[in-house]
Amino acid sequence: MKRFYLVGFLVLMAFDTLAQLSFKKAGDAALPLEFSPSWLWRVFAQPWIYGALIGYIGAFFTWMHLLRRAPVGPAFAASHLEIISVLVLSHYLFQENIGMPQMLGCVFIVAGIACLALSEAQDHGATEAVDTPADGTAGANAAAR
Amino acid sequence: MGADISPLVISLWLINVLVDSGGQLAFKAAATQTPSTATGMDHWRFMLARPWIWIGGACYVIEFVAWLAFLSLVPLSDGVLLGSINIVAIMVAGRILFKEKLAPMRVMGIVLVSIGVAVVGLKG
Repeated sequence: MKRFYLVGFLVLMAFDTLAQLSFKKAGDAALPLEFSPSWLWRVFAQPWIYGALIGYIGAFFTWMHLLRRAPVGPAFAASHLEIISVLVLSHYLFQENIGMPQMLGCVFIVAGIACLALSEAQDHGATEAVDTPADGTAGANAAAR
Repeated sequence: MGADISPLVISLWLINVLVDSGGQLAFKAAATQTPSTATGMDHWRFMLARPWIWIGGACYVIEFVAWLAFLSLVPLSDGVLLGSINIVAIMVAGRILFKEKLAPMRVMGIVLVSIGVAVVGLKG
């Protein structure tokens, strides 16, 4: 269960990050922005937009897979982990400035996700102690709720 | 959101919270409707045949338009603040519709992430 969440959210973060960075690259490459077919043509004529597409599709399937077991409230909160990777990479790739609020925000996000992980571990441990069904599925389902 | 809160801005904000939450809840419904015996491609095939997944997709399309319109009226940092409110809205909706447990540690985690997202949006 622990591995399911760890791998799931890291894969989700990777796809989301790929999508966001690709969108930025594709947008930059297609400048100047104009509402015309020629702008759309410029967007779809270069490779980055397909990175964004792969990122979106991958994130969608990963998210649906995670939601099969994870409760939507905490999972939606945890899916914001991508903000950290996008901030860090945008600093290195696009020389974007990361100010004090961004760093502080990242600390809050990490602290929040640590609380969610801790809550999940506590919950899982408690359920296992109370009932240990033969196939383990009932316990896992209860822990997921 | 400063002094320029108009009924249009508030309406777009409310639409965004509603369709974002609605979309996530529809996806959750689609993901959990599948029988546990369905795995791999069968699982996806079953899921794509459910209306919930298409309702979720439709919510996303509406959200895309509402978000664009909202961002054209308010600064991006205010928009990011909105994203943090959606997290709390989805937590509450998950509790009501899917009977998700709200243990203190879990609520604290969700609130901390929401604050984090809001703070990231502040101007440096």
